[in-house]
Amino acid sequence: MKLSAETYKIQQDFSHFIRTGRQVKIPGVRPAAMAHYRRLVYNVVKDTLETGFPIAFANLPRKKWERMVYQFFSTHTCTAYQVWKLPLDFYTCAVENSWEEKYDIPYLHDLLSFEWAEMELFNMEDVPPPAYVATGSWLLDQLAFNQEYRLLQLKYPVHRETSRRKILQQQGAYFVLVYRLPDTGDIHFTELSPWLAFVTEQLLAGITLTDILSYAPQLNIAVTPALQEDTIAFLRYLQEKQVLLGFINA
Amino acid sequence: MVGIGFRRDFAAALLQGERIKPDFIEFAPENWMNIGGYWKKQLHKAVEQYPVLCHGLSLSIGSPEPLDMDFLRYVKSFLEEYQVQLYSEHLSYSKCDNAHMYDLLPIPFRRDAVQHISGRIGQVQDYLQRPLVMEIVSYYTPVAAEMSELDFIREIVKTSGCQLLLDVNNIYVNAFNHGYDAREFIRQLPLDKVAYIHMAGHEQVAPDLIIDTHGQPIIDPVYELFDWTAQRLHPVPVLLERDYNIPQLEELNGELQRLKNICQQHWHARYETVS
Repeated sequence: MKLSAETYKIQQDFSHFIRTGRQVKIPGVRPAAMAHYRRLVYNVVKDTLETGFPIAFANLPRKKWERMVYQFFSTHTCTAYQVWKLPLDFYTCAVENSWEEKYDIPYLHDLLSFEWAEMELFNMEDVPPPAYVATGSWLLDQLAFNQEYRLLQLKYPVHRETSRRKILQQQGAYFVLVYRLPDTGDIHFTELSPWLAFVTEQLLAGITLTDILSYAPQLNIAVTPALQEDTIAFLRYLQEKQVLLGFINA
Repeated sequence: MVGIGFRRDFAAALLQGERIKPDFIEFAPENWMNIGGYWKKQLHKAVEQYPVLCHGLSLSIGSPEPLDMDFLRYVKSFLEEYQVQLYSEHLSYSKCDNAHMYDLLPIPFRRDAVQHISGRIGQVQDYLQRPLVMEIVSYYTPVAAEMSELDFIREIVKTSGCQLLLDVNNIYVNAFNHGYDAREFIRQLPLDKVAYIHMAGHEQVAPDLIIDTHGQPIIDPVYELFDWTAQRLHPVPVLLERDYNIPQLEELNGELQRLKNICQQHWHARYETVS
């Protein structure tokens, strides 16, 4: 590096002020103008996070949100060179620093995870599905899925409640399939029962429904004709929603 | 050629090409690379319809730490995929100690910084196998300077062999903020190295400070400075930047037309420069 230690230190000091707002003396710098840099940068960060986490921003206590944003930008090394990925840095920072406990919002990580999944799916690169055909056997064939999805496991129903009281009252195990529609690029989600989440996960791994049903008794699940019919009905629903595209004929 | 920044706010109108029709579009690779879905489809339509120039945001040529080669690899692949004719970046830094800050911070005008940045520009040019066009940025305070802004820029151009993006509004803003003569500043630049021009609006936030917002129409004195500058340059592409407070498209089209008139007046048949 051809940069002197002195110039490096000047840039570090300037950047430190931008991130923390804590005054620092740098030769030749006009403090009022420096404050404008801080304001401009911080506005970008705040706006990006408010846009990336609209539910969290609208429903969490404003003072807590502001403290989180400040802590995030002043202490976290933002690695995203694409600003739309900044919310992932924020979510990572929340998990690394146990913000659920620190800010007494037990469902915070679930909420950030859900909102980030929507943002990520909306922007993510196209992932081609495996080759498939339109007709086949629900029971015997491997199934071809739209690859633009996230299967989330949540402790709180942040995907359908916004009130803190209601969310906390319903602590449990929730499974949410978030996916991007191939035609429009719109993001949709659907809540799954634990059984259907398990089935979806296994089907995505290339296991056939017959093999999944054979394994079910080991999970203390009684395989009945009704269960099989309901499961196939669910797969048809996924097909309507373009999450499940067809059948892989080996 | 007079172009406009391709923004999602008015992408549909640009693709329709009726209410607004620039000669080319410009976008930041960072906002479009590695994306899919709806906006990738729109991007493909746009590049089929318009010549494309790219203006980067995250290279951070003035950063103390080493260049992000993963990022550059993506940029290179993106520029090749979309057959981008010109890639420009900012003579500033937006990252320090590997933390991105998402805005253009002022580089200290110092001799070691000239050497440091020139080396990095050379590295980028070698890697991308194309000239890098560096924008003279607006800045609101000098930072521990040991040389003038003008000498700093001239030294970097001379040492690195880069080209220049002359943002005429930036020069106007800097001249106001730092009390120098904009025309004299431009006159002393290596004008044969100017490969691209940006035009934009700004906002005065204090009696002695203008911020380069890209959120207002271009003001008459900046048009006049562009008119004066165009007479001293060979023809280059000119871009209208409008990032915030997007007005009615007719208003943007009016600004494009006014820029085209100035270009045609001074550049006549030499007008086409992007093949």
